[in-house]
Amino acid sequence: MAYFTKQSALYTLLVRYKSIQEKTFLKVNIRHAPSKILFHTERESGTRGLPVVHHSKYVCDLPPDHRFPMGKFPRVLHFLIKDQVITDKQIWMPNLASEELLGCVHTKEYLDNFINGKIEEKEQRRTGFPWSEGLVRRCRYETGGTVLAVEIAWRRGLACSTAGGTHHAFPGYGAGFCLLNDLAVAAKHWTGTSTPRRKVLIVDLDVHQGDGTAFIFREDPDVFTFSVHCGNNFPVRKQQGDLDISMDVGVEDKEYLATVQTHLPGLLESFRPDLVLYDAGVDPHWRDELGKLRLTDQGLYQRDLYVIDAVVKRGIPVATVVGGGYSRDIDSLAIRHSIVHRAATQVWKQQGL
Amino acid sequence: MEETSLGADIDDWFIESLKIYTDLHVFELQEPTQVIEWTAEKSICVAGYSTTKSNEILQLLLPQKLFAKNNQGLCPERDFKVDHGGFSEDPVNCLKHISGTRCVVSSGAPGSKLQIWQIGEDDRDIIKLTGCIELKSSSNKRCKIASGAACILHGSELRDIQITELASGRVLYTMESESSDLVSSLQFVDANVFLVCTEGGDLCLHDVRVPSALQHSHVVEQGAAYWCMGLKSGPCLSDAASCRVARLSSSGQLVVSDLRDTRGPSCRAQLTIQHSAPCCDFMNVTWAPALDDHLAVSGFDGTVHIYDTTA
Repeated sequence: MAYFTKQSALYTLLVRYKSIQEKTFLKVNIRHAPSKILFHTERESGTRGLPVVHHSKYVCDLPPDHRFPMGKFPRVLHFLIKDQVITDKQIWMPNLASEELLGCVHTKEYLDNFINGKIEEKEQRRTGFPWSEGLVRRCRYETGGTVLAVEIAWRRGLACSTAGGTHHAFPGYGAGFCLLNDLAVAAKHWTGTSTPRRKVLIVDLDVHQGDGTAFIFREDPDVFTFSVHCGNNFPVRKQQGDLDISMDVGVEDKEYLATVQTHLPGLLESFRPDLVLYDAGVDPHWRDELGKLRLTDQGLYQRDLYVIDAVVKRGIPVATVVGGGYSRDIDSLAIRHSIVHRAATQVWKQQGL
Repeated sequence: MEETSLGADIDDWFIESLKIYTDLHVFELQEPTQVIEWTAEKSICVAGYSTTKSNEILQLLLPQKLFAKNNQGLCPERDFKVDHGGFSEDPVNCLKHISGTRCVVSSGAPGSKLQIWQIGEDDRDIIKLTGCIELKSSSNKRCKIASGAACILHGSELRDIQITELASGRVLYTMESESSDLVSSLQFVDANVFLVCTEGGDLCLHDVRVPSALQHSHVVEQGAAYWCMGLKSGPCLSDAASCRVARLSSSGQLVVSDLRDTRGPSCRAQLTIQHSAPCCDFMNVTWAPALDDHLAVSGFDGTVHIYDTTA
């Protein structure tokens, strides 16, 4: 612990008080030798604002009229900058998640098939995406983004990605627009293999249960999966997470927030995570095309503000991903997805991070 | 294991449907229903069919979202809304709305009377049982019904088919037949002519003004257990395009006939449909109201299959 405290302090010193045009930052984690964790980041120096992880390659081309709102990812960043919530100096760009990194969750066979375009047509239909090299690339960058957000959160206390939350992906297959489970990869990677292992709480407030994540960590005592979802939404075949709260169709802001407030503090106190991974899906919104809950913009903001503040004020770092959201109005959807970044910015300022 | 497999199939269907369809609206009813009947432009009637408990009979308003061509996301009402409701002690296996009224008629358990319901009497939100129609003879078979102008066509066998006036309960017409062939479907063609399909697949076209002019056409297929029919709505005997009836067998055989001459089929096809359930209660064939020559087949595998009869 003392090593990390020292390392964190040194990092902070270098970054905050020295003008560095940093191209790469190599960190060797001695506790986890012989493993090395390498993160290549490109970042402007001197920023003190909320770290936002984004990559232009979070998107790929899809067939015309495809239902997945791929265009939302760059638009999230667009609105955050346009509304002066953040500046481009706060942007961190991840690298492509390596096969080795992905292999801590996904099977070798699946990765080989996925990366090399050998996914069968039936499997492709289950995911909702036709295979392409661009698709593989964007999924790997998205996963890299969540992993980086976790690393930054550990250093800085709070970080947000403009993508992520692909929680329906299982070790051997993808499903429901999810091909790689970024939350699981980030959590697995970050908890590491040392003793004692670090603990992660995954708070998944996407309207769909994080079945893939629940399955992956079903026997892992160091990763706790907490999901609040609509029982009537996909998937019909649900997995058993550590704590699953199934909401009825049509639940509105007040009841929803009360549910989160009922469970989260107790989890933080009892499980005592070293880090929280927060999936801030916006598909509980009443205008979402697939979700069956009825949250408002204000409800989502109150939710995100509560979750992030509750975690940060306990001294626990939190990394957020945008989670699910489905609408043909891409700009409205992107603005909705940016709610978590706005709430995080508010906490960043209030907590003096 | 079976429930898990069904869940997985539903999940796969959902993701596939998101890609295929421009709009996908998924709704869940509180209880399963065997009937769904339009009662007005924006309302439907459904009812339960349990044999062990009371069944709700509900008039539901369609959600706004279904009517919004654009900006569906702006519609706050996304679910069906219960507008009127009542309870039936009997299961409801057949339900028909009487056009121009706030009445529906239901049939249920074999041998039971037909029930007449009033939706929203005295501006209340109740669906109330207001009368019954006695059947010609008690039968251990379910009675099939069809609605006409202020009257009901009903019968479980060819020999007990009747037309009953709704208001008075007076029998307007009784079919003269000794046949005990079971009725699968029946429907009015116009005010004086009705069509009956037997479970064996035979069609009977009957004019109440000329009872002796009964037209009878047989369908020949070995091994088929059960047939039902779908009549192209609003047919006019002088309009060839609208005079068609489709017959569907439980083995997936589809026969389309010209109503002016039901002896020979216009076309016939063997549908490739998976049969997952032996029960034929949900088997149905209907013509598309707006798409010429298209019909829908359902009740086999949980899906609706749409066919172009000209293909």
